[in-house]
Amino acid sequence: MSTITINPITRISGFLEIGVKIENNKVIDAKCNGLLYRGFEKMLQGRDPLDAIYFTERICGICSTAHSMASSLALENALKVNPEENDRMLRDFIHGCEFIQNHLRHFYLYTISDYATGPQLEPFYNNHSDFRLPKALNDRISNNFIEAIKYSRLAHTSLGALGGKAPHNHGAFVGGVTVNLDSYKLIKVKSIIKEIKSFVENHMLEDVYTISEYYKDYFNMGKGYGNLLSYGVYDKYSDASLTYVKPGIYLMGHLYEFNPSKITESIYNSWYIESKNNEGEYEAEPNVEKEGAYSFVKAPRYEGYAMEVGPLARMILSNNYPYRISAMDRTIARVLETKKVLGIMEQLLDRVTLKEASQKQYEIPNESYGAGLTDTTRGALSHMIHIKNKKINRYNIITPSVWNCSPTDNAGVKGVIEEALIGTEIQDIKNPIEVGRIVRSFDPCISCATM
Amino acid sequence: MEKIEFCPLVQKKELTSKAFIDMTLNKLRQKEVKKLNAIWIEATGCSGNIISLLNANEPDLVYLLREMITLKYNNSIMANEGENAFNIFLDTLNTDFILIVDGAVSIKSNGQYTIVANYNGKRITAMSAIKMAGEKAKYILAVGTCASYGGISAAKPNQSECISLEKFLGKDVIKLPGCPCHPDWLIGTIAHILVKGKPELDSEGRPIMFYGITIHDNCPRRSYFDSGIFAKKLGETTCMFKLGCRGPVTRTDCPTRKWNEYVNWPVGNNTPCIGCAQAYFPDGMEPFVRY
Repeated sequence: MSTITINPITRISGFLEIGVKIENNKVIDAKCNGLLYRGFEKMLQGRDPLDAIYFTERICGICSTAHSMASSLALENALKVNPEENDRMLRDFIHGCEFIQNHLRHFYLYTISDYATGPQLEPFYNNHSDFRLPKALNDRISNNFIEAIKYSRLAHTSLGALGGKAPHNHGAFVGGVTVNLDSYKLIKVKSIIKEIKSFVENHMLEDVYTISEYYKDYFNMGKGYGNLLSYGVYDKYSDASLTYVKPGIYLMGHLYEFNPSKITESIYNSWYIESKNNEGEYEAEPNVEKEGAYSFVKAPRYEGYAMEVGPLARMILSNNYPYRISAMDRTIARVLETKKVLGIMEQLLDRVTLKEASQKQYEIPNESYGAGLTDTTRGALSHMIHIKNKKINRYNIITPSVWNCSPTDNAGVKGVIEEALIGTEIQDIKNPIEVGRIVRSFDPCISCATM
Repeated sequence: MEKIEFCPLVQKKELTSKAFIDMTLNKLRQKEVKKLNAIWIEATGCSGNIISLLNANEPDLVYLLREMITLKYNNSIMANEGENAFNIFLDTLNTDFILIVDGAVSIKSNGQYTIVANYNGKRITAMSAIKMAGEKAKYILAVGTCASYGGISAAKPNQSECISLEKFLGKDVIKLPGCPCHPDWLIGTIAHILVKGKPELDSEGRPIMFYGITIHDNCPRRSYFDSGIFAKKLGETTCMFKLGCRGPVTRTDCPTRKWNEYVNWPVGNNTPCIGCAQAYFPDGMEPFVRY
C-alpha cells in the first residue's frame, strides 16, 4: 500500500490537499483537506445587517455574486422585503453573468489542462503522459482556451455594467438592484450575451464533446454516492422559459421534496471545537491542534447522507440530463448548463422594462431571522441571519463546496469527493492525473468551503 | 513651469498606464528590457485579485504573459499541480523575479491557517512560502487590500491573525490596494517596473499614478455634493455622501478609470464607495450603507 498526497491541487480557487491510499493501483481511501481559515461567520457578528451583502461577497473572488444573492435573500426574508419583478429579473440576470464567468473559466482555464496541452504559454502549458487528442483537435481546443479568456471577461463586463464592478459587485442588494436600466445598458448586455452564446454554442459544446470522446473511461470514474441536492435557481417565475430547476433531492434512487430541517453539520473531523459563547449558545471555534481532524471544511449532511451539489445535480433534477454520474458527466453538464443559463438570461432581458430601481430606505428590525437559500454556480448555498438589537447576532453560511469537499463525519460517512475518488484505478502512481481530473470535475472552491 | 510637477492631476495624465505599456513594448522589442519572471502567491484571502486580472483588457492577461512577465507560479491558473508545481516555485527563487502576493499573511499557529503546498511530506504554509520568496524577490507587490493592509481577512476578531505583507516581511513593498485590485493598476505598475524600475510611491507605498487623488476629487457627482443635493437611498443619481460614501477618503482613480472594460463603477451604479482600497477597510469603513 502507498499514499499519494497532492497539494496544491491547482486550477481551483483556494487551497486543497488530496491524500489517497493506494493498493494494487486502486484508491482504497481518500481524504479531502481544505487548508484555509478566515472566520467570516465570526467576523459578521455585531456588524450592520445590510453590510452582510458586500461583506460576504469577499469570501470568494471567483463566485462573489453568489454570496451577494444569498445574503440579499436572507435579508429580504428578515426585513420582509419583496422585490418588484423587474428588479428581481435584473438581479437574476446579474447572477447569471456569474454562472457564465465561472463556467467558462472552470472549463477552459481549470479543466482543459487535464485533457489537452493548453496554449504554449506559461503557466498554462501542460505536459504529461496521458494526453490523447490528435494534434489538430488539441490545437483547436488550446486556441479556444485563449479565446475563452475574452468571453469570460465579457461575462464580468456584463455583470459590471449592471452591478457596478466585478468581482465584488455593488448592484445586487436588498430589494433587487441599484441600477436604473436604460436602453444603452440593456443593449450593451444583450450584445455581450449574444456574443458569449455564439462562442458557447459554436466552440465550447464541441470542445467538451471532443474531450468526452477521447476520454470515455471518465464516464466510469468519479461517480461517488450519486445523491443529489439543489435549492433551486430561476424557480420563482410562472413563465416556463424563465424556469430552470426547483428545489429537490435525489436520494438512494428516489426523488424527494427538499426539507431544510433535515440538514445537519458535523465538525467531528474538522479543525473546530464547540465552545459556549456569552449567551450560552454553542459556536465552532477553530483549533488546529484537534486530534484526528484534517480539514477546515465542516461536514453537512441531509438525513445523514453526503449530497452532491452543482451543475450535474441541477441538470438531472430539472430533467435536462439523464441520471448518469461521473467525472465526465459533471464536465459535460457544466457546459450544457452554460447554454441553458444563457438562454434564460436572454429571456430575462426580453422581459425587463426600462425603469428606475425600486430601492427603499430599509428599517432594520430589533430582532428577526432570515434565510436565503439558492443554488448558485457550484451548487446549493445558504445564508442564515439572526438580527438582534439591530445588529447581526449570528450568521451561518453553508456553501456548495462545503457539501462537495467535506471530510468524513462522526458516523463515518465520507465526503462526496472522498467517496468519488475511492475505487479509482491509478495507471501511473508517480503521475496520478486521475485524481486531479476527478476532483476538478466538482469545481471545488476552498475559499468558500472554509470561509 | 516647475510647479507642474507637483500637480497630481497633470502628473496622472502624463503617466497613464497605457503610455507606459506602449513604452515598455517598444523597449521589449528593441530588447532594451527583458521579461521578468513572476511568482504569484495566493495567501489568506479570496483569491479574487487573479480573477480581477483575468478581466484585464488591452493589455489583457495573454498580452501580459506573452510580452511582459513569465508567470511561473499561481495556484489558480497554473497547469502543474502538487510537487511539480512547487518545484517550479523553488526553481524560480534562483532567478530575477517579481513577487506578487494576493491575500493577507495569517500568522496564527505558525501559519497553519493557510497551507499552500505539501513538499516532501511537509506542509508549506503561505507564511513560509512568502518568507522564502520575499527574501529573494527583486520587486515585491502587495496586490489587493488584504496583502496591502490586512483587509477583510484581518477584520475583527481576526481569528487567523492576519497581517499585511509589509508588516510580515518587515520591509517596504509596493502596495496596490483595492478589493479587488483593478487589473490596470497591476499591469501599469509592472510596465513601470520593466522600463523605469519602481514607480513613484506615496508615503504608504502606493503608486501615485493610480492612487494619487481621492475618489471625491474626481467624482462625476461632485457638483451634487457642492450643491448639497444628497441621495436618500441607493439607486438615486445624486451624491452618495450621506449614505456613507467613502469617496472623500479613498484614493483611487475609479471615477475616471472605471471597472470591467471601463463600463461602470460603484458610485456609477448608484451605491456608495465603501472605501475598499483604504487601510482600515472594512472595520473602519462601516457601515457600508447608512440609513
